[in-house]
Amino acid sequence: MNVVPIGPIHPVLKEPIRIKLIVEGENVVGSELEMGYVHRGIEKIMEGKHYLKGIYLSERVCGICSYIHTQTFAECIEHMSKIEVPDKARYLRVVTAELERIHSHLIAAAVYDLSIEHETLAMWCLNAREHVMDLMELITGNRVNMGFNVVGGVRLDINKEIIDKIYKKINELEDDMKNILEVFETGPLINLRGEGIGVIGYREIMKTRAVGPVARASAMPESDWRLRHPTYKELKFKPVWRDEGDNSARMIVRHEEVMTSINLIRKALELYEESSGGVRVKVDIKGGSGEWKNEAPRGEVYYKMSLTDGGLIKRIMIRTPTVMNLEAYKYMLKTCPTVSDAVTTYTSIDPCVSCTERTIVLKDKKTGKIKPYSFK
Amino acid sequence: MIKEFFRKRDINVCVVNTGGCNGCDIEIVSCLAPRYDIEQYGIHVHNNPREADVLVVTGPVTLPWKNRLKEIYEKTPEPKIVVAVGACALSCGIFKEGHVCGPVDKIIPVDAKVPGCPPRPAEILDAILKIAPDAIASKEKILKKRKEGVKSTV
Ligand code: SF4
Repeated sequence: MNVVPIGPIHPVLKEPIRIKLIVEGENVVGSELEMGYVHRGIEKIMEGKHYLKGIYLSERVCGICSYIHTQTFAECIEHMSKIEVPDKARYLRVVTAELERIHSHLIAAAVYDLSIEHETLAMWCLNAREHVMDLMELITGNRVNMGFNVVGGVRLDINKEIIDKIYKKINELEDDMKNILEVFETGPLINLRGEGIGVIGYREIMKTRAVGPVARASAMPESDWRLRHPTYKELKFKPVWRDEGDNSARMIVRHEEVMTSINLIRKALELYEESSGGVRVKVDIKGGSGEWKNEAPRGEVYYKMSLTDGGLIKRIMIRTPTVMNLEAYKYMLKTCPTVSDAVTTYTSIDPCVSCTERTIVLKDKKTGKIKPYSFK
Repeated sequence: MIKEFFRKRDINVCVVNTGGCNGCDIEIVSCLAPRYDIEQYGIHVHNNPREADVLVVTGPVTLPWKNRLKEIYEKTPEPKIVVAVGACALSCGIFKEGHVCGPVDKIIPVDAKVPGCPPRPAEILDAILKIAPDAIASKEKILKKRKEGVKSTV
């Protein structure tokens, strides 16, 4: 039995993580993950700080899905203190969150295409993504860490000019995406590398609690938390799903979600134009503890926090989707014939390491006791 | 002669994320996109420290990275050029109170700094291009010295 170590710095990885693949000849029989390279202790920094500072820290949990973290943070506090957010702000949140989902899925597709050595398609995806980044800069004023959400609404309003520009850019993007999707579904070399590789079934998904596109590619549409979000209920959102559970299915789910996101943006903008009023209300923070879940591009993100009456954070807990998806990676490896397939499977779950590096709860292996994680 | 000419337009970059939030990393990935097209300047991004001319470091240095970063710095061939990208790499930024052991220039020498959280892709590209001639010049010097050394021994 031999071990192939990958990382923390390696040509295929974007982020520092160490994967040890256990191989027999060319066959991969197991894997070990070693994490902790990006652990900065964000929850610890947040403790004792005012929530106005906390929202900026929560944005920097992850740079790719930065917006959804602030949205979850804000909605958690709004839910706890029963703050009514104005309609305009709710629809603007949907527009920006969906734009972020598009850019995240496109970068995931580009990385996957690069890992299967199809550089042309990767460049098409990156090119389409630049237009989305432009739109985000137009709406929020920054490309990556936007700082757009505040507790009680959003920071800026948009005007008619910007709405027209969004419609125009989105129509162009839809044409681009149709083209990319057609190439991805019909390209023979692309499917050769993806079909039947890294298969994970419904039962294993239930075992590992995988979320997001990984679960939806294995016939679990109800794993989408947008189905339970009040604003998305208004927009009559329907999730995309597949039942093959292999690499191709996961990537096709991502591509098709871009299309649904485009439709959601259109619907949200229509409703935005009908509504009136401001985008931000004055808030009155009540102490207590509460929790909120949202659908990030990679799956559900969960915030649990307790506040004092003045708005100081007593304790906060963040759970991000990649923790569960990396667990599912172990089961996918069973259908990876070669080392290079193991690498493409790794990119197909779209791991985000800097999200994952949260607090680790230790379990005693002998007694099975879990150290109590009190929340007071 | 021909080899020297082409080596001038061949800068290899290795991106090292020492604990940042990925924001800076995806802006470096954006540089690959056709809009910025980093390869038209002859810059190749592949994360292999053993053949890199320029190390691009993003993020504050977390505790497990402290020794690793030094190792990687020793592994890279001459000229060892380091570009620190982002507020985190310059001063630890927002994570100053967390589990970090300081900015990058505390651990290894830094040649160029790009502020911003995150900086725009064009700024990163600009910084690499500004120090690239340096890299090429010193590279040539080393090559020439090696050639003369070979001649004198013969
Ligand atoms: S400088 Fe900003 S964007 Fe870059 S790694 Fe640090 S927090 Fe993230």
